[in-house]
This record gives sequence, C-alpha cells and structure tokens, in this order.
Amino acid sequence: MKKMLLTGVLLALSGAGAVKVGVLLPLSGSGSVSGQAARNGYLLALDEINRAGGVLGKPLDLAFADDGSSPAKAVPEFVKLVTVDKVDFMAGGVSSATSIAISGPAKQYNTFMAWIGAAAVPVEDAFADHKYFFHYHPWSYYNFEAILDYFKYLKRSKGARNIAIAYEDGPFGSAGIDATVAAFKKAGFNVVMSEKFKTGSGNFGPLVSKAKAARPDILYWVGYDTDALPLATEIKQQNLQLGLIYGTPPSWPVGFEKNKLADNIAGLSLWLPSSPQAESRKFVAAYKQKFGNMTEEYFAPLAYVNLKTLAAAINRAGSTDKDKVAAELAKTNTPTPFGPLTFSKSLKTQYQGFKSGNWLHFQFLGDSRVPVYPVKFAQKPMVWNK
Amino acid sequence: MSRAMETSRTVTRRPDFTARALVPLGLFFGLALVFPFLPLGTRAEYLLQIAFFTLVAAILALSWDILARSGQVSLAHAAFYGLGAYGFALLGKVMPWFAAMPLAALIAGLVSLILGAVTLRLSGMYFAIATLAFTEVVRTIIQNLPESVAGGANGLLVPALLGGNARAQYFLAFGVLLFTALVSLAIRRSRLHHAFAAIRQGEETARVLGVSVVRYKLAAFFISSFLAALGGVLFAGKTFFINPLETFSLANSIAPLTTSIFGGLYTTLGPMLGATVLRVAEELLHNSVKNGYLVVYGLVLMLTILWLPRGLMGLLRRGKHGGEL
Repeated sequence: MKKMLLTGVLLALSGAGAVKVGVLLPLSGSGSVSGQAARNGYLLALDEINRAGGVLGKPLDLAFADDGSSPAKAVPEFVKLVTVDKVDFMAGGVSSATSIAISGPAKQYNTFMAWIGAAAVPVEDAFADHKYFFHYHPWSYYNFEAILDYFKYLKRSKGARNIAIAYEDGPFGSAGIDATVAAFKKAGFNVVMSEKFKTGSGNFGPLVSKAKAARPDILYWVGYDTDALPLATEIKQQNLQLGLIYGTPPSWPVGFEKNKLADNIAGLSLWLPSSPQAESRKFVAAYKQKFGNMTEEYFAPLAYVNLKTLAAAINRAGSTDKDKVAAELAKTNTPTPFGPLTFSKSLKTQYQGFKSGNWLHFQFLGDSRVPVYPVKFAQKPMVWNK
Repeated sequence: MSRAMETSRTVTRRPDFTARALVPLGLFFGLALVFPFLPLGTRAEYLLQIAFFTLVAAILALSWDILARSGQVSLAHAAFYGLGAYGFALLGKVMPWFAAMPLAALIAGLVSLILGAVTLRLSGMYFAIATLAFTEVVRTIIQNLPESVAGGANGLLVPALLGGNARAQYFLAFGVLLFTALVSLAIRRSRLHHAFAAIRQGEETARVLGVSVVRYKLAAFFISSFLAALGGVLFAGKTFFINPLETFSLANSIAPLTTSIFGGLYTTLGPMLGATVLRVAEELLHNSVKNGYLVVYGLVLMLTILWLPRGLMGLLRRGKHGGEL
C-alpha cells in the first residue's frame, strides 16, 4: 500500500511543472481524415520525445481538443485549452476557416502557435502581426509555384504547350482561378480550355468533349476526390489523348491507385510513404511499429515534425519563455521527412517553414504513387502519353 | 361546456400574457444576463465563448420560427444569415459597426422580399425547394462577384466586432436575442399572430376571413430575414472570416429548423431553450464521448423529437401558463 502511494506521489511530482502543449485538430467533421492522421503523428512524436527524456527534464504533456472542423467550435475549444488547461504552447490547426476564427483569441492571450495546416492566404493576413506564429505548411501560393515549376519542366522536356483547366465551382477549385490562368499564360503556355464543373455531379461528358476539341497536352484538374474516378472514366471512354492528367485534390479516393483508370495520373503531395529522404524512411518504420499500418496522409509526418521541433526548441531555450523558445525555433535547421526544415519570412508572416521546394510530384504507376519530380527524387521515369 | 364552445373559445382567445407566463422567459434572460458574472473559475472565459455561439444559434432559431408561424418552412435561412455576414463585412469597411450591422440586416430583409414575392404561390415541399435554390443562387452570386469586392471563393476577412472583446460581444449578442424575443412577443400580441396562424392553417380560408395573405407572408419574410441577418453579423464579427461555401451551407438552414422543432414550434421561449439545451448537450457529449459524440447527439435529438412532438415546450405546456409563450 505504502509502495503504491509512494509511486503515485512520484508520478504526480514528475508531472507537476511539465510542459503542456495544446493540440487543436479537426477530429470530427469534414477535416477529420487529416485531423486523425495528425493526431497519430503527434502521439508518435510524444512517445519518442518522452522516451528521450521529455522536455525540460519532465515528460511532455499533450492536451488534444476537437475543433469539429467548425469555427463556432474551434473558438471555445481554443479558449478552453489556453485558459482552463493552461497550456504553454499551442500546436495543430488544419482548416483555414477555424484558424482565422481563433486568430482573435490567439492575439488576446498572446499564444505561442506552432501551426501545421491552414494554407489559405487569408490566414496569412490574419496572423501577419502575430509575434509567435510559426507556420509549417506551405501557403497556397507555394503549391501553385511548385505546379508551375513542374509544368515548365514538362514544357522543356516534353514540349508541353497547351493546358486545359477543369476546376470545381466551390472555393477549393475556383479560388484564384483567374490568377492561375494568367500565370500559365505568362509562363508561355496556351490555356486552351478553362471549364468549371459541379463537384459530385459525376457528369464529365461535355467537359471532356470540349477538352478533346481543344487538344491539350496537359489536363489540369482542380477538384475533390469524389470526381477523380468519374473524370478518369470519361477520359477513357472518349479516348481523350493527353500527355498528362494532373490533379490536385486534398486527398485521393481510397484505393484509387489500384484502379487501372488511375494509371499515369499525376498529382502533388508534401510527402509519400515512398519518399526517398532518410527521415521519411525512419518515420515510416516508427509509424508502422506503433500503429501497425501506414498512412498516406502527409498531416501525420507534418504533426510529427511539428512537435519534435517545438520540443527541441523548448529544450534548447531551457525554459518556456515564449521569446526564448521563438528565438530557438526560428533557428531550426533539421532534416525531416519533407526535406530540411528552416524558418524564413513568407510574404506576410515572420516564420514560414516549408515552401514550394518541398512539394513532390508523383504519378500513379503500378498500383502505387511514385515520385517523378523533382528529378533528383524521381524513383521511376515519368510516363508522358503523347 | 360543449366541445364546440370550447373550440370556439380557444380560437377567439386573445394571446394575452399573464405575469406567470412571462416567468420562464424572464428567468432565461435573467440567467443569460448574469452569466458572465457567475463565479465559474478558470472555465469562465471558455464558457463565455460557448454562451456566445448559443445566443447566435438562439437568434437564428427564433427568427426561423417567426417565418414558420406563417406556414412557410424555409430552407433559405443560410442565405439571410450569409447576406448579413457579407453585408457587414463589406459595409464595415466604410462605416462603423453600429451602422453596418442594421444596414446589413436591412439589405437581407429587402432581398427576402424578392424571395417572398417569387414563392407566394408555393407551399410545402415546393416552397422548401424554392428557398433552397434561392440560397444557392445567392451563394453563386456572392462567389462570382469580383474577388476584390467580396473575396470570391476564397472568402474574406471580417473586422472584429467590438475590438474582439469577448464579454462585450456576448452582451451585444444578448441584446440582439432580447430584441428578437421582444419582436416575437410583439407579434404574438398583435394581429400578425392571428394572420400568421390563419395562413398556416389554410391560405384560402385566411383569404375568406379577409387576411391579406401576400402582405402578411412578406412581413414574415422581412422580419425573419432581418433578424437572421443580425445573427450572421454576430457570427462573422466573432470568427473574422467568411467564405461562400461555409456561410451559405445547408447546415445553416437546417440547424435553426431542428432547433426550433426540438425546443417547440411557434413559441418564443422554445427555440431559445432548444438552442441552449442542444449546445450544452453537444458540449457535454463532446467532452465525455470523444469519438462518435455526433452519433449520440443525433440519437438524443431523434428520440426527443419522437417522444416530445411539441418539443421542450411540450413539457412546460403541461403547466397552466407555460404554453402561452
């Protein structure tokens, strides 16, 4: 009995004064796939951090909260983590709308935020003047920079000139579409079609017919996973001849790679389980060991990197003083599953982590996603169908 | 007393309020007024945030109920709510918030008259579908305005209401809900109440009785959308950001409908009570049933509607005066 009491007291003492990190994620609602993946990434990082001695000599403590993918839920949950759970630092964040909604309380409480997601430009505006905002995910304009870079490569190496754009009519597909067309034209491409569609309608007949008449080299498709298969089916049925179909859905349909229709379709990802970086291989091995399976969601390694680098910065700072931790986190220069991580200015914020150079372009080849660009990371030659 | 006489007395009874009937409503607002001053310890600020969004949900539900009293089961509430939010975001750039707020609501009210006029001949499912389509039309228009004007599909940042002061925002929401409740009570006491009820029970009969159906239906639309737009302003000013997809989402039309049914249709207290109980239940479930709390929440909602077809107000109506409000 005495022994048990002593153990309890020791455990309580070891927890007292532990650094606490609040993690706000969409564990339910529309963003839950990314949120659950991120949660696993955090849990894996927490295990490793605490096995290696914790933070400031104590086991690191995480407090998860579900923002429900909704601003109305995110604000109270954020305030709860800061004022009730009294976390020392905040991490997480996937959706742009919820991130903007908490920008008010974040400034009010002067919260230290190591943020993994929220790529929309208005988020950058909302946190432009926040002193302790570290943003890991590339801003949306970096995504397009990466795509444009790849297409320029296709122009040089394959003679691609004509681009047809198919975009869904919601915010995801339509945002900045005029700027996209202008950027392609400025880079010397002919935009031979720019056609919007209603996501989930399943009817791509007219769109593909129009594309067929325009004879593009690349079909650039901006939409959601639900449209991937109907579009690929219609292209096959109408025998649309293309050099490349390039899609940028937030996630691909489960098992899409196993479908023959997916062959040679290309896309963009910050990370793939097959990413060649040594840190990625280590992450994949550790993830499989802990969870018994592997995820293709890049929010898992992103969350992992997020917590590991934050913990390392706190340890280097030797305290939870926000200024000291910010100074140390700003100095981060470490290999990650996405490539090296350093922080530098973006257009409006002080501390931006990954940028356009961290994106990988892959193709569905032989039942899996295979990196094909940048060339130095290509595991197989890209298939160009023209 | 014969059954016929009883019925006759029910129909002709004035909707007067006794002091006792006002007690539950007074208690509700009394509690809401002192809520920010309750000794809630470290949870005070967190609960204040929950309470703010509860008040907004109550405004939306009560404003929806006012329209439903005229027999119009609308799915256009997201449009009015969104118009309020967008109106405030745009007007807030050129005028102070206290001017932008009512003006945004007025714009939503005027736009609602167009919908009201177009859908005058529709009822039931046809009316609901038309209102749903209207929301989609408004969303598409907003989304296709030049990005420099309304942010396009990306959305736009909204100026923080009252400098982002949570307590001040709460009291503003409290004031708007109080105003909404007073409007609802005023309707209950006026001839609008009889006209709305007559139209709801049968437009042809209402016409025969001399009720100007067109005028009263449009009045219901205007009042309801004006109040819903005020809710949209509060939400946008609190969350600093709006985009067409989320602001005009179907969820924003369905939530006030379910809340009103849950609380008790055609009453003032019912939708407010429904919003409060649902938000508290959601929060409790969220914290206790981490995974799948929405399933439990949905089941609770379904069972309550099944067992209490008149909503929470059905419980109060068992009392002598409770059902009057």
